[in-house]
Formats: sequence, structure tokens, C-alpha cells
Amino acid sequence: MSSNSQTAQIEVENLEISYGSVAAVGPVSFRVMPGQQLTLLGPSGCGKTTTLRAVAGLERPSAGIIRIAGQTMYSAREGINLPAERRGLSMVFQSYAIWPHMTVFENVAYGLRVRRHSAAEIAERVQHALDLVQMGAYAQRHASQLSGGQQQRVALARACAFSPSVLLFDEPLSNLDAKLRGDMRIELRELQHRLGVTSIYVTHDLEEALAMSDQVVVMRNGRVEQSGPPGEIYNYPRTAFVADFVGSSNLITGRLRPDLAADGLIALEAEGGHIVHGVAHGRAPAGEPVMSVRTVHLRLDAAPPAQSRNVWPVRVKRSVFLGDLTELRVQWGGRELVVRCGATAAIEEGRTAYLSADPQSCVLLEAV
Amino acid sequence: MLMARSRHRLPSAQTIVGLVTILVTGLFVLYPIYFLLQAAFDVGDQDARPPTAYGLGNFAALPKYSEIMLNTLGVSLGATAMALAFGFLTAWILNRTNVPFRRTLEQAMAVPYYVTPLLGAFAWSLLGAPESGFINQLWRALGGHGAILDIMSPFGIAWVMALFEGSVAFVMIGAVMKSMDPSLEEASQVIGGGRLRTMLRITLPLVAPGVLGAAIFVFAEMLGSFSAALVLGTPNRFYVITTAIYLLVSQYPPRIPLAAAMGVSLFAVMFLMLFLYRRLISRRSYVTVSGKAFRPRQTDMGGLRWALFGVCVGYVILSVVLPILTLIYASVQKLAVAFPAAGNFTLDNYRTALTQNAVRYAMSNSLVLGVLTATIGVALTGMLSWLIHRTRLPGRGVLEYVAMLPQAVPRLVFAFGMMWAWLVIPIPVYGTIWLLLIAYLTVFLPLGLRTISSVLLQLDRSLDECGQVCGAGWGYRVRTITMPLLRPGMLAAWMLLFIASVRELGASILLMGPNSQVLTPAIVDAWFSSSSELTAAMALIQTIVVGLAVAFFMLVTRRAARQGG
Repeated sequence: MSSNSQTAQIEVENLEISYGSVAAVGPVSFRVMPGQQLTLLGPSGCGKTTTLRAVAGLERPSAGIIRIAGQTMYSAREGINLPAERRGLSMVFQSYAIWPHMTVFENVAYGLRVRRHSAAEIAERVQHALDLVQMGAYAQRHASQLSGGQQQRVALARACAFSPSVLLFDEPLSNLDAKLRGDMRIELRELQHRLGVTSIYVTHDLEEALAMSDQVVVMRNGRVEQSGPPGEIYNYPRTAFVADFVGSSNLITGRLRPDLAADGLIALEAEGGHIVHGVAHGRAPAGEPVMSVRTVHLRLDAAPPAQSRNVWPVRVKRSVFLGDLTELRVQWGGRELVVRCGATAAIEEGRTAYLSADPQSCVLLEAV
Repeated sequence: MLMARSRHRLPSAQTIVGLVTILVTGLFVLYPIYFLLQAAFDVGDQDARPPTAYGLGNFAALPKYSEIMLNTLGVSLGATAMALAFGFLTAWILNRTNVPFRRTLEQAMAVPYYVTPLLGAFAWSLLGAPESGFINQLWRALGGHGAILDIMSPFGIAWVMALFEGSVAFVMIGAVMKSMDPSLEEASQVIGGGRLRTMLRITLPLVAPGVLGAAIFVFAEMLGSFSAALVLGTPNRFYVITTAIYLLVSQYPPRIPLAAAMGVSLFAVMFLMLFLYRRLISRRSYVTVSGKAFRPRQTDMGGLRWALFGVCVGYVILSVVLPILTLIYASVQKLAVAFPAAGNFTLDNYRTALTQNAVRYAMSNSLVLGVLTATIGVALTGMLSWLIHRTRLPGRGVLEYVAMLPQAVPRLVFAFGMMWAWLVIPIPVYGTIWLLLIAYLTVFLPLGLRTISSVLLQLDRSLDECGQVCGAGWGYRVRTITMPLLRPGMLAAWMLLFIASVRELGASILLMGPNSQVLTPAIVDAWFSSSSELTAAMALIQTIVVGLAVAFFMLVTRRAARQGG
């Protein structure tokens, strides 16, 4: 299977999965370039895990095409459906799926034994894989003697040991506590770079998705809501769902005022009468235009800021201390806006202040 | 199954094994039922096969036997009521009170199940027969007149049945009480509901569906039970439906269509009962299960807890200790009497039992059948369980229903259909132990399936999927992942199937031939045609042999596990 750098390592085209007459997923399409990581992000029940399992061969799709390294794994039209064991990929399961009746060594060696490697080679590669996840000293332990984080590492070593061309991750960090999750996130990313393996990662955790991926696919109700690099997804949400799920946003509805547009910016007159300048990001407004402003992109100052656009005097109604951040609710043109700022920048309840936003962070959503 | 391209033209091992399993299950279960139905609706010439005419004539004749139906109903209702009382009381004591020695008692409560109603019937007959029963002898020695206890009466039969079904009721009701979240009751008390109010408004409604389910299940079992009524009822010509069917089939000339009609009616009623039971159980989820770990709340009973302890111990004494001691006592006497005498002591019964060729032959047949049934049965039910719970096979729900169907058919009735089914087939299995093997495999399908499924369902599906993603084919995964992980379930199923087959009566008594004698019918035969003392010795020998076989099996597998692991 020769594949040059132009062709995608994983291609999913118009994939559909249904249970009986209930459509669970689809149609969904995406491509993953060699050595890159794509993340399927979405709330529970959005079909991301089902999609991943279909790529693995554990779930039977009802329509579409799945190709890995140019080879067709599933095609509804051609009647092809390779079983999981013949797809040559590997997967890390949400429950780790560490076999309790085997030692750590036997767990990691499994894929190599299936492939009938020599005993010496198995020993060497298992050791290498375990060293990679810093579990080299635990080879003879039983699964029951491992902590959650250690089981996670063993599952990772087992998935990598036989050098699969594609790695699939099904919410691998969701069962770890928050601190460990943060550490593992970085480790996983480094490991993925070092091995240069192509991977698909499923998560409902925004930070994980943004930190670890080259591409993010946001899913909702079995369909792709938006796909693109993490920065694009975060800065230019396409729909209200993405704006809200990927971080937290204020959604502002109103009518466009082309007469006030200038400097490549668009102007929106909000329902309360305020004028908000923002960017269209190439989107043609239609129907009722909606703008998204992230809560962290709004600023509150006691004194009027220097900029001329998007500055409004407001009254702080409520201030809630959240630790790293303070969340403030301000009265703005007949409605509330939510502002999140560093604890030191917070302004007391009841005070008047100046709310401002960089027009570049006020983004027009695509009409739906 | 969808195959990938030309190199996959041959069906995989997985497909072949799956298909064989489905075919064998379907054949074993449905083929005899078909013959049973055929016989029940056969109103044509009795000597012609297949039947020359069909009709409802056999069923129309049933009202003439209303006495048998009333007997069955009376005994079953009485036995169910008593079994539920035993079960509910012991389940409540062991789960909801601070009774001492709880763990030991809980284990002891499983023993009656292993003693079986047949042994119980022998022992209680020795204890409570109106003339010769030990208890009645004692009664008269103490100056009483007549009999204080008549175990041969309908009440006596129901009593023996209830004693041994009581432990089933205990397990079922206990499970309901165990799965009840105590916070549901605490919530009632916190908002001001008193103890009595909480009990009436919260606790009872919560356990009611489970208890009702147990009642239906136990009643269905009682309708189909055979051995106690055979041992205690037939000498007085007191028949219930199962013993009546047995009489109709084994008398000369046999009245096959009438027996079949009775069997089909019984089957229909039991099927309905078990259907209701399943409906009840499946809708119970809203009541009690909450996925969190908790211990049921226990009431401090103060000094009364020793009385409750006495209740549990009393149940175990009546169902286990007393019957076994009675059998031992009777087996070492020339003539079983209540009061020991040196001249009456003998070991001849054991000598006779162990030296009679017929007994030894029956014993070895039973053991061979036990090993074969357990081994093949575990493979078959393991495969079935996998097909039902781990594949997307269309119609797997139907497959489960078919496999569980023998539960609704008394073994005697099932064997009756089987007798006809395998008589007409050109393969010479009739009258051989192979027919018994097929019968055992069929009637114990539900037992094996339930045991293995309960373990399989606890296994995380991704353990197998992970092996698949690692590149392992189906056979390799079964060998390296599924089988080792299912080991506890398979061992448990093996033991249960072995014990159940070695002691099987209902199917064996109809299907065995002169060349395929097995032990339990031989023991029953000894009861009716030899002596109760010899029978006691044989029954004890059977119990000991089963016990030894199980101990040996456990030892071997445990050693293998130690070496393997």
C-alpha cells in the first residue's frame, strides 16, 4: 500500500449508521492526513463513539465508505466490510479493557503474539512499549494490582506495541481524575508526535480536543456541526451550538446595519439598540443574523478604554467568584451579558463600568 | 454475514459453530414438543403412525379427571404458600435483621436445594408414615393414639415439596430485598413517616412485585414437580397431574393420547405462568435497582434475634439435617424403627447396594452421563449465551426463548415427547444412554444457560473487542480471552449440570431402557419393590458419590488454575 503525503490515511465518506430504523449517525465525512490527530468532539449521545467504532470495525454501518491507507475497509456499495481484526489498526478503550487474567506483559504482548512474532522480538518490543509509557517496571504485575492511571498506560502500551498505522482513542482519559487527566493529555500528545501515528480521538472534553488535535470535528445528533483546526473552531464557531459547546459564548441577535459597516467589519444593531461591530468570516448573512462573543473576550474596565468601537457603559448586576476566574453578569441593552475575567480585574456588584470587545472576536454565525 | 471479497468465500469457524448450535438447540427442544402436540391431538387409530385423524377429543376427555386437576391445584397452592412463607421469613431475617451468624446461615440456606425433594420424600416418609413413621412410633410410645402426622396425605406431600422449594423462594425474595436501596425507606422516615407507615407504604410496595414473581415461579415449579407426589402419593392412589401422566404412559396398555393431552395442558399453564413471571421481572427495574453499592438496612431485633436465628436453624434442620440423619439411621437397620436395638443393626444394605450388578451398572451409566452432559452442556450453553448476548444475530431473542422453553415443560412431559420423537427417527438412539444424554442436554439447557449468561453479562464487552482490534480472530479470542474469563461461570455450570443429571428422575424414568439403566430411577424402583432401608443406603451412596465427584472436580480444576495462572 503506497501512500504519498497528499493522500489521507483515513477517509470516511458519507458514513451512516442506524439501529433498526433509527438513524444514529450520518451522513458523516472526514479525512485524516498521515501522522495527524483528528478529534471527534460532542456531547454524549452525539454519535462520536459510534463513528469511531465503525472505523474500528466494531460497529456495522448502513451506508458510506471507510478507507484506511487507501484500502477500502467498508463500502456499502461494493459489499465490503472487513472485520476489526483485519483492519490493522489499534484502539484504546474508555474502560481500558485490560485483561484481568493476564499480566501486564501478556496484555501488551497480545497483538504481537497474534502476529506470530518471535519470543525475543516480543520481549524487546513489549519492553520498549512499556518504557514508552514509563511502566517498564510493572511487566509482571497483574491488572488487578494497577491503579487507574497505570491501567491507562498499559492500555496505551498495548495499543502501540505492534506498531499499528492508525490508533483510535475512545474517551481514554474520562475515567481519570482531573489532575492526572491534565498530565496524561500532554503525555499522549507527545507520544503521538514521537510515534508519528495517525489517530482519531473521541472526547466530550473541550480542552482535551483543543490541546491534542490537528483537526476537530464537532458532532451533534449524529451529524457534523463544524470541522477544522482547533483555533478556527474556537475563534470562528459556525453555529450557536458550537459557540456554546466549545467554551461559553454570548449570542447576540439583531439586524445588520450595512450603513455603519467599515474597515472590513460588519455592524449589527442588537435588540436593545446597541451597535456591535464584528467580522463575517466570509459568511453571508441571511434570515436573522446572530453574533457570538466569547465570555472571556469581553473586557470590563472602570475607566473608558481607548478604542472607539464596541464600548458600552454597563452596570454589574452579579459577580460570582470561581477561583481562576470571576463570572460577572452585566446589564446591557435590556438583557444580560456574561463576562468572565481574571479575579483581579473583577468589578464589584452594583458598580458601573465600561464593557468592551475587540471587533475581531465578535463573529457572525452561519445562517441555519 | 457479509463476507469480504473472494478469499472469504468459505464461511468462518464462527459462523459454522453458531449455525450448529442453533440447529442443535432447535432440534432438541422443538422436535419433541412437536411430537407431544401431535400425540395430544391424535384421535385416530392408536396403532397408526403418523396419526390418521386429529381433533380435540383427548382434551374433551380431561374433565373426567377433574379430581386429579383439583389434587394438583390443592397440593401446588398449599406447597407454594408454605414455600413462600419459608422463603419470605428466612429472606427477611437474613437480609433485614441483625440475626447472629448471618453468613453461615446464608450458606446453609442453599443446602436444601442439593438435598432434593426425592431424598426429602424418602426421609419424611420414614419419619411420618402413619403406621411405621418414626415420629408416629414415638407418639404412640409416649401414649398417643393413631398418627400425629400423616406424610402420605396431600398436606404431607405439599409439606415436603415446600421444604425443598423454600430455598428457591429464599434466593428469589432475598435478591429483591438485597437490591432495595435503604435510602428509599430513610427518605420516608426523614419526612415524618413512622416505622409502621414506612413498612406499609414504602417497603411492602417495593418488594411486592418481586415476591409475586417468586410466587408465580414457585407455583409453576410445583405444578410440574413429580418425585414427592410419586413417592408419597401413589401408594394411596393419590395422583397429581405428573404422576397421572406417568401412570397413563407406563401402564398396560398405555393411554398415550390422553397423557399427551394432560402434558400439553400442563405445559400451557406453566408456560403462561413463566411468561407472567418474566413480564413481572422485566418491569421491576424501576423499583429497586439503583446501581449504587449499599447494604440493606438492618433492624436491631434485640433479644428476639436469637428466636429468629432459631427459625432459620429450624428450617435447615427440617429440610437437611433431619432427613439426612433419618436416611443414615434407616440405612443401618434391618427394619427401620424409631428405637435403636443392637440386634437390628446391619451394614447389609450398603453391601447389597454396592454389590448388585444392576446398581453398579446404573451408577456407572449415571456418572458417564453426568460427565458427558456437563461437558457438552457447558460448550452448548456457552455458545448459546455468546450468540444471544454478544452478537447482532437476527432472531436471537427467539433463540433465547427456545432455549429457555424446557423450563416450562416438566421433565417427565418433555421426556414423553422425546420418547416418540426419537422412536421414529432412523438413528438407533432409542433405549440407549445416548437418548438420555440428549434428554439431559435438552431439559437442562435453561439451567446451563442461566448460569453462564449471568457471568457473561458481567464481562465488559470491550475486553473481547480489544482482542479483535489487536488483530485476533474469533477462535483465538475465544481461547485466550473469553474462555479464561468465563471460567468461573463455566465451572459453576459444569457442576450444576453434573449434579442435576446424575440425580435426574422425571425424564430418566420414562426414557431408560433395559440397557440404559440409571441410578435415580433404580433407587425409586428399590423404594417400591425392595425395602426402604436399602433405598436409604442407595440414596446416601448416590449423595456421597456426587459429593466426591464434585470435590474431585474442584480439586483438579483448582490445581490446574494454580499451575496455569
